[in-house]
Amino acid sequence: MRNLLLIAKREYLEQVRGKAFRLSTILIPVLFVVIMGVVVLAGKNTAVGKHIAIASEDPQLAARVQKGVLDQKELKATVDIYAPAQPSMRDTLLKGLQDKSIDGFLWVEQAADGKITATYTSESSGDIVISNVLTTSLNDALINDRLRANGVTQSQIDAALKKVEVQTMQVDKEGKIVKSNGVVSYLKGYIMALLLSMTTMIYGMNVARSIIQEKTSRIFEVMLSTARSGDLLAGKLIGVGAVGMTQIGIWAAAAAALAGTALAAPLMSGEYAVHFTWKEGILFPIYFILGYLLYSALFSGLAATCETEQELQMYTPLAAVPIWLSFSLIFLVINDPNSIWSIAASLFPATAPIIMMLRMGSQMPPDWQFVASIAIMIFTIWGVLWFSTKLYRVGILMYGKRATLPELLKWIRYS
Amino acid sequence: MPVVELAGVTKAYDSKLAVDNLSLTIEAGQMFGLLGPNGAGKTSTIRMMIGITIPDSGQVRLFDKPFERAILSRVGYLPEERGLYKKMKVIDQLVFFGELRGLTPEESKRRGLNWAEKLEIADVLQKKTEELSKGMQQKIQFICTLLHDPGLIIMDEPFSGLDPVNATLLQDVLIDLKNQGKVILFSTHRMDQVEKLCDSICLINNGKAVLAGKVREIKSRYERNQIVMEFEGNADFLKSSEIAEAKNYSGHAEIKLKPHGDAQKVLHEAASMAKVFRFELVEPSIEEIFIETVGGKVDA
Repeated sequence: MRNLLLIAKREYLEQVRGKAFRLSTILIPVLFVVIMGVVVLAGKNTAVGKHIAIASEDPQLAARVQKGVLDQKELKATVDIYAPAQPSMRDTLLKGLQDKSIDGFLWVEQAADGKITATYTSESSGDIVISNVLTTSLNDALINDRLRANGVTQSQIDAALKKVEVQTMQVDKEGKIVKSNGVVSYLKGYIMALLLSMTTMIYGMNVARSIIQEKTSRIFEVMLSTARSGDLLAGKLIGVGAVGMTQIGIWAAAAAALAGTALAAPLMSGEYAVHFTWKEGILFPIYFILGYLLYSALFSGLAATCETEQELQMYTPLAAVPIWLSFSLIFLVINDPNSIWSIAASLFPATAPIIMMLRMGSQMPPDWQFVASIAIMIFTIWGVLWFSTKLYRVGILMYGKRATLPELLKWIRYS
Repeated sequence: MPVVELAGVTKAYDSKLAVDNLSLTIEAGQMFGLLGPNGAGKTSTIRMMIGITIPDSGQVRLFDKPFERAILSRVGYLPEERGLYKKMKVIDQLVFFGELRGLTPEESKRRGLNWAEKLEIADVLQKKTEELSKGMQQKIQFICTLLHDPGLIIMDEPFSGLDPVNATLLQDVLIDLKNQGKVILFSTHRMDQVEKLCDSICLINNGKAVLAGKVREIKSRYERNQIVMEFEGNADFLKSSEIAEAKNYSGHAEIKLKPHGDAQKVLHEAASMAKVFRFELVEPSIEEIFIETVGGKVDA
C-alpha cells in the first residue's frame, strides 16, 4: 500500500508540475467558450447576407411572401420581388444564380385549374432554414389571399393568423411546475457530456502514454524489483486520475468564482440561464472517475503490448467509438430521455457517462438507474482491469516487437 | 551462510528454454560472476532471483530463506537496461527510490547526497535526468541501487557504456562494498572485465551451467600452455615442434603449446637464436576456458 501511494504521488506531482497540465487547464475552457460562442453566434445569424428572389404572376402575393420572410427574426436575408413574373424571367433568375448575383429564387405559378405550385431553386442543396421560412410565408400569404377573396377583412385575417407560441413547462420532483427551456436543457447536457468525454479521453490516453514512455525508458525492470506490477498499475491509475480531478476541481472553482461576477450575469439569468444542481455536481465527478477508470484500464493493457506511441495510436479510433456512439444518440436522448433506448444507453458501460450527462440535462433520471449504471460500470471496470493487469504484467517486460493476438492470449495464460 | 541459492531452476518462454535446471550458490562476502554469451539466460536467471518472474520449477532462496517479496528490501538491482524517470530532478529521483525501499525522505536525501559526493556528481542533483550524459545517468542509477544499503547487490552489465575512468571509480566502490561484507553478483558477457574482480563464477550457455566454482580452482584445472614473449632477432624458434600455434607481432609473440608441450625447450631454443626480454607462461583466461568447455559452439 505504501508503494502504491508513493507511485501515485510521483505520477501526480510529475504531471501537475508539467507544462501540459497548466496549458490544458487554461486552454480547454478557453477553447470551449470560443467554440460554444461560435456555435451560438452562427445560429443567430442564419442566412445573413443571403440574396433571395421571389417571382410570381401576382405582385401582391409576392409582396406578402417577402414581408413574411423579412418578419422572421432568425433570418436576415435580402429579398427581391420579380412580379408579375414572365416565363422568360426564369432564365434571367437562373443566370443570376449562376453568376451568384442571387443565392436562390422562389418561383410561384398558378395553373389554369387554379392549382398553385412553388419551387425554390438554389445553389446549395441543404438550404433547410430558408425553404422552411419560404413555405410558411407562402402558405400564410395564400391563406390571406383566399380569406380576402371570401370577403374577410384584413384585420380579421391578421387576428386569425396571429401565431401563438407554445411555452414549455416542466414538473419537477416535488410536483412544482417550472418553466423549462429546451435549448438550455440541450446546452447544459451537451456541455456536461462534452467536458466529460474530453477529460475522460485525455486522461485515459495519458495513462497509456505514460506506460509506453516508461516501457521505452526501461524503468519497469527497476520498479519491478521493488514493487508489484499491480501496485505499479494501480498507482498510475490513481495518480493520473487525481490529476484529472484536480483539473476539474480548478475549473469548477473558477466557474463558481466567475458565477458571482458581472461577466456571468447574462448566463445566470434570463431566458438562457444555466443552473447546475448539487446532484449534478456530485454525479459529474463520479461519472468522470468511472469513465476514466474504464478507459484507462482498457488502454493500460493495450499500451503494455505496444512498443511506441505510434503503435498505440492504432488503437485510438477504438477509444473514440463510445464517444461517437454517445453523441450520435444525442437527439434521441434529449427528445425522449426516458425511452427504452435512452435507458439502455445510459446503462451500457461504454456510453453510460456521456448519456447520463445528456439525460440529466433534460430530466433527472430516477435514482435506481444511477445506481444500476454505476454498479454495471464498476463491475465492467473490474473485469477489464483483470485482463489488463495480466497483459500489463507480461507486456511491460517484453521489448522488441509488438505482440500478436495469439501471443496476447498466451500472456493472459502465463500470469 | 549462502546468500543466494538456486536449486534446479527452470524457465521456458514458448518452446525456448531460457534457463534449464540451473543450480548455484553464492556465499556471503563474495563477488560472484554470472557469465555467458548474449542470450545465455543470465537476465532470465536474475529476474527469477528477485521475483520479477516466477520459475516454472525449482527453488529460489535468498539470505537462507525461501524467496518472499519482503526480502527485496535487502537487495539492490541494477538492470542491464537502465531506466530512470527522465523528467524528474536527480535529487527527487533518489528520494523516490529511497522511499520505495523503505527509507524516510530525509534519510534518502542524506544518503543520496553522500553517494553523489562520492561519485563526483553532487553538482547535478538539481538538474533533470534527461539533461545529463549517459555516463552520469548510469552513476545515478548506481546510487539508486545502493541507497538502501542492500546486503545483496545484483549488477547486470554494470560497466557497459562507461569510460575507463568512471569504470575504475565504480569498481573501487564495489570492492569497498565487498570489503564491508556485501555480496555482489555480476552478470556480463564481457568475461575479461570481471575475471579479476570475482571470487567465484558460474558460466552459463543455453540456460545451463557449464562451469562453476572458485576462479582460482577453475583456472588451476587448466594447463598453463600459453606463452607471451618479447624478443629481438631470429624468429625461427616459433617453428618448434613443441608449438601448436604462434602469432608474431614484430617481436611480441603469443604462443600456444601443443598438449604437454615443453615450455623450457621453447625458451632454450629462443635464447639460442634471439635476445629474449620477456618470457611468461600464462594461464588461460576465463573466456578461453569457456570457449574450450562449450567446444567453440557459443550461441552469441
